[in-house]
Amino acid sequence: MSKIPIIIEREFFSRVKKKSFIVTTLLMPLMIIALIVIPVYVAQKTDKDCLVYVLDENDYFINKFADTEKVHFAYPSGELESMKQRCIDGECDAVLHILSGSQSNQANLYYHKDPPLSLKGRVTEQMDKILFDRTLMDTFHIDLQKYEIIKQTSQSSVAAVQIDADGQERASMMLLNRIVGLICGVLIYMFVFLYANQVMRSSIEEKANRIVEIIISSVKPFEFMMGKIIGVALVGILQFAMQIVLAVVLLFGVQFLLPTIFSETTVAGPDVASATAAAESMQIQNSSLFSDISAFYSFPFTTLIICFFIYFLFGYLIYASLFAGLGSATDNETDSNQFVLPVSLPLILTIMIISMEASAQSTLVKWLSIIPFTSPIAMLYRIPSGVPLWELILSIALLIGTFVLCVWLSAKIYRTGLLMYGKKVTWKEIWRWVRM
Amino acid sequence: MNIIEIKDVTKKFSNQLALDGLTLDIPEGRIFGLLGPNGAGKTTLIRILTHITMPDSGRVLFHGHPLEAADVENIGYLPEERGLYKKMKVSEQVVYLARLRGLSKQEATRRLKEWFQKFDIDSWWNRRVEELSKGMQQKIQFIATVVHQPDFLIFDEPFSGFDPVNAETLKQEILNLKAQGATVILSTHNMASVEEICDEIALVNHGRLVLNGEINEVRRRFKQSLFHISVANNIDTSNFPTDFQIVKKTSVGNETSLNIQILNNTPSNQLLQYLIEQQYTVTAFNEILPSMNEVFIKAVQS
Repeated sequence: MSKIPIIIEREFFSRVKKKSFIVTTLLMPLMIIALIVIPVYVAQKTDKDCLVYVLDENDYFINKFADTEKVHFAYPSGELESMKQRCIDGECDAVLHILSGSQSNQANLYYHKDPPLSLKGRVTEQMDKILFDRTLMDTFHIDLQKYEIIKQTSQSSVAAVQIDADGQERASMMLLNRIVGLICGVLIYMFVFLYANQVMRSSIEEKANRIVEIIISSVKPFEFMMGKIIGVALVGILQFAMQIVLAVVLLFGVQFLLPTIFSETTVAGPDVASATAAAESMQIQNSSLFSDISAFYSFPFTTLIICFFIYFLFGYLIYASLFAGLGSATDNETDSNQFVLPVSLPLILTIMIISMEASAQSTLVKWLSIIPFTSPIAMLYRIPSGVPLWELILSIALLIGTFVLCVWLSAKIYRTGLLMYGKKVTWKEIWRWVRM
Repeated sequence: MNIIEIKDVTKKFSNQLALDGLTLDIPEGRIFGLLGPNGAGKTTLIRILTHITMPDSGRVLFHGHPLEAADVENIGYLPEERGLYKKMKVSEQVVYLARLRGLSKQEATRRLKEWFQKFDIDSWWNRRVEELSKGMQQKIQFIATVVHQPDFLIFDEPFSGFDPVNAETLKQEILNLKAQGATVILSTHNMASVEEICDEIALVNHGRLVLNGEINEVRRRFKQSLFHISVANNIDTSNFPTDFQIVKKTSVGNETSLNIQILNNTPSNQLLQYLIEQQYTVTAFNEILPSMNEVFIKAVQS
C-alpha cells in the first residue's frame, strides 16, 4: 500500500495545528480589511463640523462659499492678526486668508488645533469652483447653467467590442480584463512562492534534524516528496479558502456594524485630501467598468475559473517539486538561496512584465503564456482578453509535461541530496545526481 | 538458516568504490557485529540492507528472496545520524514512524503505550521532542526502531551519546530482542560492547570483507600463544626456559601472576609441566585471547 496518505496526513496536520497557521490565517484578512477600513474610518472620525472665517483682500469671495454639512463659512470684518487671535481663542477652527491683487487665486489656511484632514481639500474645491465660474462669466460670458448643458450634450460613449477569429463579437472591458488577469496572476504568484518555499524549508529542516534517514528507510524518497508536496498544497488551499471566506465575512460585518463608513465613503472619498485623486479616478473607472452589462456577462468566467485552478495547481506543483529537490541538496537555508533565485526568476520577471501594463495580446506575453515556467501567471493574465483554444491546450499540455519532468528530476536530486551532508553543493554536482 | 545473504555486491559513488564485490551471510537469531574503520563501506552496506540505496551489481537476499521495498516493514533501523521532528509530540512522532513501517494507527498506539510503561516514561506521551534531553530522545528513537516488531534490526552506533546506565539498559534490550528471536546487526567502534554482546562479526575494509566468523573463533585466529598463570609462590624468573618469554609479572605477597608468551610453537603443556617440576603451586592457568580491539587493529593494518 502506498504510504503517501500517511505522509500527507502528517504534513497537513503538523502545519494546520501550529499556532502560526491560525495566526496568519486570521491576521491576513484582518490586515487587508483594516487597510481598507481604517483610513476611511479615521478620516470620518476626525471629520467634525468646522467654522472657517474668510478674509478676502479683494472682497470677491465674500458670501460665495457654500456652507456644507461639515464646513461653515463666516465673513467677519477685521485684520488678519486679530482673526488669527480669535482662531487661537477657539472662536473658529480656521482662517482662510485670500491674497490680494494678482495673487487672488492664492490663499493661506491658518489653524491652531489640527482641523480634519479633509478641510483643506474642501476649501480648495470650493475656491476652484468659484474661480471656474468667474472665468466662465468674465472671459467666455457663459453662466453655469449653460455650461452644464454644454457638458451634457458633448458627452459620447464608446464601447469596446472584441471580434474573435470566427467574426463573433464580444463586448469587452479592456480595463476589467487587465485587472482580473493581474489579480489572478498575483494570487498564483503568492501561492506558489509561499507554499513552495514551505516545501523547501521543510526538506532542509528534515535534513538538518537528521530524521530523514529513518523516514526514507521506510518509504521511497519519491513517495516522501510527493506526500510532502501534496500535504503542503492542501494546507495552502485550506488557508487560502479560509482567508477569502473570512475576508468576505469581515467585510460584511464591518458594513453591518458601521454602515455609515460605506454609505459615506463615496461622499467623503474625494474630500480626503491625499486620497482625492486616486479615489476619483477609481470612481470614474468603476462607472465605465460596469457600464455595459452585456460586456460583464460576456466575461469568460467559466474558462477563467477552470484555468485558474489548473494553472494554480500545476504552477505550484512544478515549483514545489523543484524547491523540494533543491532543498534536499542543501543543509541550511543560506545555502539554498543560490538555487532559489535562478529557479524563481521566470515567475518574478513575468509578474514584472505584466504589471508594467504590457498588453495581453503582445507577442512577448503570448510566448510567456505558453512557456511552462511563466505560463501560470501570463496565461491567467491573457484569458480575460480571450485566448485561442489551441494555445490554451498547448500551454496546459506543456505545463503538465513539465510537471512530470520536474517531479522526475527532483526525485533524483532528492534521493541523493537527502543523504548528502557537509558539502556545499553546486549546480554541476546536482546535474551529476540527475544523470546518475 | 541465513536471514540475509549478500552476494557479490558492488556500489560505486562517482569515483569511489564503496563496496567491492562483498559477499556475506548473516545467520538468523544472532547478534552480528559489523566492524570496520571509518569509510570502509559499512554505512553503504547498511543503506543497501535498509533498501535506501540499490547496489550497482550483486544481490541481497532477505529470508531467501531478493530484498524488496515491502521488506522494510520487517526491518528496524537506528541510523548513526538520527533525529526526530523537534516540534512534534513524542507519541505522535513514534506512531507516525510506526505507520510508515506498516502498522495501523491503533496498533502502533497500543504497542507504544506498552513500551512507555516498560521504560516508565508515561509522562512523556504529550511532550514535544525539543523538551526532552538527548538521552531521552535516544530512548524514543530506540522505541521507534523496534515498535513494529521487526525480525531484523540494524543499530548503527547505538551507544553513542548514552550514559553508562542507559547504555546498559540498551544492551539488555538488544539481548532481549535476540532472545525473542530477532536478528541484530550492530555496527559500532565500541569493541568492548562487541565482545560483550555479539555472537559473530564481520570486518569490512575498503569495501571488502576482511574477517568474518564466530567472535571467539575470530579472536582465536589472532591468538599469540599468550598465557596467564598464577602461582601461590614467589617465582624466580631469571632462569626460565627461553621458549617462555615473560611479558608481564606482578607479585602480591606470596602470590605471583605472570603473562607468558610461548615461543617456537612449544606446546603450552610444557609450560605447565615446567612449573610443576619447579614445585610451584599453580592456582590459575589460562590462555589470553586478543581483545576485539587488538583484532581490529591487526586486521585493518594487515
